[in-house]
Amino acid sequence: MTYPFRPPAPVQAAMSQISLTDIHKQFPGRGGKGGWKALDGVSFEIATGEIVGLLGPSGCGKSTLLNIVAGLDDTYEGTVAIQGKPLAEQIGQGFRVAYVFQEARLMPWRTLRENIEFVLQAADFPRTEWAGRIDRVLGLVELAKFADFFPLQLSGGMQQRASIARAFAIEPDILLMDEPFSALDELTARRLRQSLLTIWSAFRTTILFVSHNAFESTFLGDRVLVMSPGPGGRIREEINLRHIQRPRDYEDTALFVESKRVVECLQRHMGNRPEHS
Amino acid sequence: MALVTGFDANASGRIASLAGAIAGSERMHYAVISFLSVVSLVALWQFGSMALPSSVLPGPYRVVSALVANVLQGDIFTDIAITLGRIAAAFAIAMAVALLLGFSMALSRTAGIFFHVWIICGITIPALVTILTLYMVVGLNDTAAVLGAAAPVIPVLAINIREGVKGIDTRLIGMARAFRAGRRQQIVSVMAPQVAPMLLASTRFGIGLVWKMVLFVELLGRGSGVGYKIEFFYQMFNMTEVLAYALSFVFVMLFIEVAILGTIERRIFRWKRN
Repeated sequence: MTYPFRPPAPVQAAMSQISLTDIHKQFPGRGGKGGWKALDGVSFEIATGEIVGLLGPSGCGKSTLLNIVAGLDDTYEGTVAIQGKPLAEQIGQGFRVAYVFQEARLMPWRTLRENIEFVLQAADFPRTEWAGRIDRVLGLVELAKFADFFPLQLSGGMQQRASIARAFAIEPDILLMDEPFSALDELTARRLRQSLLTIWSAFRTTILFVSHNAFESTFLGDRVLVMSPGPGGRIREEINLRHIQRPRDYEDTALFVESKRVVECLQRHMGNRPEHS
Repeated sequence: MALVTGFDANASGRIASLAGAIAGSERMHYAVISFLSVVSLVALWQFGSMALPSSVLPGPYRVVSALVANVLQGDIFTDIAITLGRIAAAFAIAMAVALLLGFSMALSRTAGIFFHVWIICGITIPALVTILTLYMVVGLNDTAAVLGAAAPVIPVLAINIREGVKGIDTRLIGMARAFRAGRRQQIVSVMAPQVAPMLLASTRFGIGLVWKMVLFVELLGRGSGVGYKIEFFYQMFNMTEVLAYALSFVFVMLFIEVAILGTIERRIFRWKRN
């Protein structure tokens, strides 16, 4: 899976939305020694509207990779291209990236509505559109009645749903999610994954997410990229899940078969580390 | 999902009315206990005054009568105004310097190490020594008085502010950066609201400390203000007036605390009460 350098070519039929080529990332150690090689030559492409999961044990560099795609970390080697251009250039032209974190990360002193207004303001949406957008996304995650509640008045699951609504409010071109459901109990997580796919089907956003849960990755993804454990994380295998029919259903047997395959694959690339989480 | 939504809506309605009822009975409870607390304090004072000669510890009734007489006569307001002016000036100086120190110490490692020694010295030097030194260096005037009241408060306030700034949730800043919020939006919408509780607490704490320091500097080297009056009446062995003047200022400070700072607090922290 290596991609030769392509000059900014004329419009291609299927230009990839996100393209990473040979990404290396080294964390410096204290006083110039030690250090940690987080990523060792990661390359992949994601098409527009695709949902791709990065799966791997903790410490394999998944989150580092996500931060690089988000443009929050620019000390790496290699090339990140968004529709063939550098991210900074795209952002300048109104390209929008949204993020769902492991915790909801809502500002507790603002109501849900005000929390979403914050990102709409950051993305320069005209004020006249705010109310309509907020009502729409909160409706999609079934929180319309709670628009004027403060986050601390809601359960953890509702807060995370609000953070998903916040991400979609800016109609992102790319949505990045860092273990978005791992802090929730399994039943809540199930409902939220379904909520996510419902809202996704309304927007068809390109999604790159990170997870250490094989079943979750299978349920959400069109493809799952399995990473090797750190240090020097890299992508070991790609599992295609496009044939599992959408909308996805937890009872779909194909899902169980595939998730079993993903687990096996994960085990294969785990090396012979005795413990993994 | 529809079922669940219905449940949510019902629950929210019930929770809201329940919260209202709880808030009501809580307020009642709060008022009753506070009232009992005031009564017990006055009772303690009353018993104390009954055990001691009235020239040593006059009772509440005597002191309040004296205070009322002072208020009717009007002279007391001049002293209160002068003292309040000094408190305002000293607090403004102390807060400004402490903010500068606290923020720089929290945000820069070098500044943190550098000012750490200053702070330790500031805390260990007795306020009395600072005040006397300032009176000697600057002269027996209002400038020295205000500086003397401000200086001992600065290190304590600076530590408070440093801790508050260090406690800012960096995850929310990460969120703001991920959604491409500008520098201005990050400061106004993410940082400022997180710093606000600490600023309010520091203001309370600072005003409380400064007012005691102002009384002290007035007593040591000024010919006006509540502190001077207390010293004057103490020299005359007139404990009734000493306590009357002190009580007048307790009322003034209570007003600032409850009416002004309390209101601001309720405004800012709507989201915390539920």
